[in-house]
Amino acid sequence: MMVCSLYPALRVTTPWSCSESHLGSCRKQLMFCVSRRKARRRAWTGVSCSAETRTVVIGLAADSGCGKSTFMRRLTSVLGGVAEPPRGCNAYSNTLVGDATTVICLDDYHALDREGRKEKGVTALDPKANNFDLMYEQVRALKSGVAVEKPVYNHVTGCLDPPELIRPPNILFIEGLHPLFDPRIRSLLDFSIYLDISNEVKFAWKIQRDMAERGESLESIKASIKARKSDFDMYIDPQKQYADAIIEVLPTRLIPEKSATEVLRVRLVMREGVKHFTPVYLFDEGSTISWTPCGGKLSCSYPGIRFFYGPDTYFSDEASVLEMDGQFDRLDELIYVESHLSNLSTKYYGEVTQQMLKHADFPGSNDGTGLFQTIIGLKIRQLYEQIIAGESSHGWKREQLRRCLRLSPV
Amino acid sequence: MATAPAGVSTSARGVVSSKAELSKPQLSKGMLRLPWASRRRASSRRLVLVASSPSTPPNISEKVVESIKKAEETCAEDAASGECAAAWDEVEELSAAASHARDKIKASDPLEEYCKDNPETDECRTYED
Repeated sequence: MMVCSLYPALRVTTPWSCSESHLGSCRKQLMFCVSRRKARRRAWTGVSCSAETRTVVIGLAADSGCGKSTFMRRLTSVLGGVAEPPRGCNAYSNTLVGDATTVICLDDYHALDREGRKEKGVTALDPKANNFDLMYEQVRALKSGVAVEKPVYNHVTGCLDPPELIRPPNILFIEGLHPLFDPRIRSLLDFSIYLDISNEVKFAWKIQRDMAERGESLESIKASIKARKSDFDMYIDPQKQYADAIIEVLPTRLIPEKSATEVLRVRLVMREGVKHFTPVYLFDEGSTISWTPCGGKLSCSYPGIRFFYGPDTYFSDEASVLEMDGQFDRLDELIYVESHLSNLSTKYYGEVTQQMLKHADFPGSNDGTGLFQTIIGLKIRQLYEQIIAGESSHGWKREQLRRCLRLSPV
Repeated sequence: MATAPAGVSTSARGVVSSKAELSKPQLSKGMLRLPWASRRRASSRRLVLVASSPSTPPNISEKVVESIKKAEETCAEDAASGECAAAWDEVEELSAAASHARDKIKASDPLEEYCKDNPETDECRTYED
């Protein structure tokens, strides 16, 4: 309120000066004088503040063991650099810091540590076990360019460790179980993704993860999934209705055996009308296309590859769905498919293929999971560039000035 | 190269000395080669053993096994209770932590780790021309 009344009385006495230009951000030192009408006297005050480009916040929601870490590594790679844990800090830190990105794990905002959850009989999926107020405060602070002391949750000991300093990055990723749960946090997100893994595939992945190493029994894996299912269905699954992009991973339809999970069918659901986000399409935007690339020009091994594209409704919202069923065996299949997809937001021909090859050792590099995660990474890059370009106009400067006034009361 | 392993240099010395001693028949030539070859095979065997699939650090591994036992005990009393769900959730959390620890071990390269802390040393200097 104070801002609205002060702003018209504002007189800029010194011109804007752009002291430094770094990675597209401009630090501006601003000196101005303010006259207070309300107090009916002229009080000349000098206030200085520096304005940086704002932080773009992306949310990623998924259950444990669903490939969030792989997704994050791919995303940070597309956006530039390698994201690593902050050096010199807690060895069990869940945070990843890269050149332009920082990834925060929302497990750090657990209100109850493992002992506390055991006493109360709640899982980590339950909102009661998480401190949403602190989560909202800190994400909002980072978004407006203020560094925060974020708590650290140690997954090995199950305790809350001393906090670590997080500086506001260009792009902030918040990944975890509940990024879309609280409406206040949802309002801060510029883009959100939900990883929807079907039960059969989740089970197969958990077997692969847990049984290979020390032979955890099948029964214990089944019991673990069953015990968490009710909390998952109640608290985590409903978040997908709020996501801007949903990646669904299902068993393939190409192999006749019921629910074969060796080959995956991956659907990328892209909501229409999301700001700065243009959905990927096949051949003709808005049409329904069914495409089998394997044939005369391209030979694939069994079971081959099949694509579908078309408009659809998702939770009564309009969306476009791009689906890939099958696996890539060779490089030329990848480049052939990439050359036929449109609106990929690549900067050069073959960028998707190059990114996929760069991380050929990551799980999902030969099927739709890797492909769509890479495409989402490129979309996020485009979204970030558009947001920053849009905000470097005069309107943004005015907003920063208003914020500056609010932060330094006179 | 200054950093040639000791095993190679001693065997090479051995080869040179035995060559100087006598003109050995075919068999001894094979025998001359064998010690170095067998040492190489042994060392490569050793290398193979060392470079096996990464295993979970023992402390996390023990915790997972313990948590599974506790979960089974808790759920034996009441399978539908919150405590049972919390116990299996703990198993899931520890399994995830174990899996991340395994990935970290797989991804870590001793030279890269060393160079992160000491970028100015000779081994870590990069030249971009």
